[in-house]
Amino acid sequence: MKVFGWRRRLTPFDRKLTAILAICVFISFLLPLRQGIGARVLVERDGKVIYTADLDHDQQVELQGPLGVTVLQIEDHAARVISSPCPQKICIGLGKAKHSGDLLACVPNRLVIRIEGDEEKERGYDLLSR
Amino acid sequence: MFGRQWVTLLLVLIAALLWWRLPPGEQQLSRTALVMGTLVEIKAFGDDEEQLDSAISKAFAEMTRLEALLSSHQPKSEISRLSNSADEFVASPETIELISLGRKIAERSNGAFDMTLGALKKLWAIESENPQVPSEEQIAVALQGVGPEALQLDGNRVRKKLPGLQVDLGGIAKGYAVDRALALLRAAGITSASVNAGGDIALLGDHDGRPWRIGIQHPRKSGELLAALELSDRAVVSSGDYERFFEQDGIRYHHIFDPRSGQPARLCQSVTVVAADAASADALATAAFVLGPEEGLQLLEQLPDVEGLIIANNGKEWQTSGLPQSQ
Repeated sequence: MKVFGWRRRLTPFDRKLTAILAICVFISFLLPLRQGIGARVLVERDGKVIYTADLDHDQQVELQGPLGVTVLQIEDHAARVISSPCPQKICIGLGKAKHSGDLLACVPNRLVIRIEGDEEKERGYDLLSR
Repeated sequence: MFGRQWVTLLLVLIAALLWWRLPPGEQQLSRTALVMGTLVEIKAFGDDEEQLDSAISKAFAEMTRLEALLSSHQPKSEISRLSNSADEFVASPETIELISLGRKIAERSNGAFDMTLGALKKLWAIESENPQVPSEEQIAVALQGVGPEALQLDGNRVRKKLPGLQVDLGGIAKGYAVDRALALLRAAGITSASVNAGGDIALLGDHDGRPWRIGIQHPRKSGELLAALELSDRAVVSSGDYERFFEQDGIRYHHIFDPRSGQPARLCQSVTVVAADAASADALATAAFVLGPEEGLQLLEQLPDVEGLIIANNGKEWQTSGLPQSQ
């Protein structure tokens, strides 16, 4: 009986706390997006992450690639390329990336920009044909 | 107090352990790479992350191999060697398969899809640092000998109608590579996956129990969707005048050429084609773009198992009767 001695010391508050925690644990398994943290922008070059930032912090970032500097602007919870040394500027024309899974790329300058996290903001599609 | 703290701590520990130790079940693995001059994203669902990772690596390797074979930008590729060859050329099974498919679509579209516009594309140099608007005389020279009959196949041999013909598979090779990548994922036992090469998309199975939702980029409103399609086991490819272009004297010159005039095709803003395979969808999107909304729609409606959405140069939408839109 000594093993269960702690149960006798549980107050009504302890029992409520226990119940709340159990409910929280149960609910957490029902949430498919449990790692839904604030959105981040990740920049990769040759498969390696060279830069990460919070999408909530407005800023301009200079990203070095083989052709020169590509400028990424993070503003109003979205990222877009505003300057690039590549010949066709397709990366600039791609516009904004703001939802988890959105991708931008400057192929000539070997840069891939992706948005991760913040999965609660649905973009309404799985893949984009452009 | 000791009891309360102990119980709370224990619960938190159990919750944390359950949280992190719970088997993940079916998961999605997504990887990207720059291949064939574009951003390629491969997604695959499955229980075994190592299996997914290995299959995706093989799919990327296959696309890289096909780029080395089929690119007209790589001087040592088979297509570059075919372009430089004056005689009968012995080609790989992949090149033969692709040229055979391209010829069928070229004939079906009355030459709107053309694999022999290499000289014309080099002349315009749209994808270079110094694109130019060529003269009519230059264009006439670049168009000599082009057309559906310009490439003849005899077993594993390719014959060019004129020795100087330059082959360019830009309107079909990316779709073909996407198909081959998806085939490797299927062969690895994966039943749900997608390969997206800059908008040339092939889908395997569904997306975790529901159809894949494919957003179609609006050709004139960046960041806005034209439509969303719900698809499984299909390929979808879009061609448009809005990504690869240059402007001179207020005129936009884009990368999809009309073989009849040697000028950028002017009748459409974008074409999206849904088909069983990405290579066909790729070539048909180019063909319909060149033909324009009326003839392009006729072409797509005539083909079994093919659907399409065409935006004319005035912004009007044309679509086939069976296009599976979700909105």
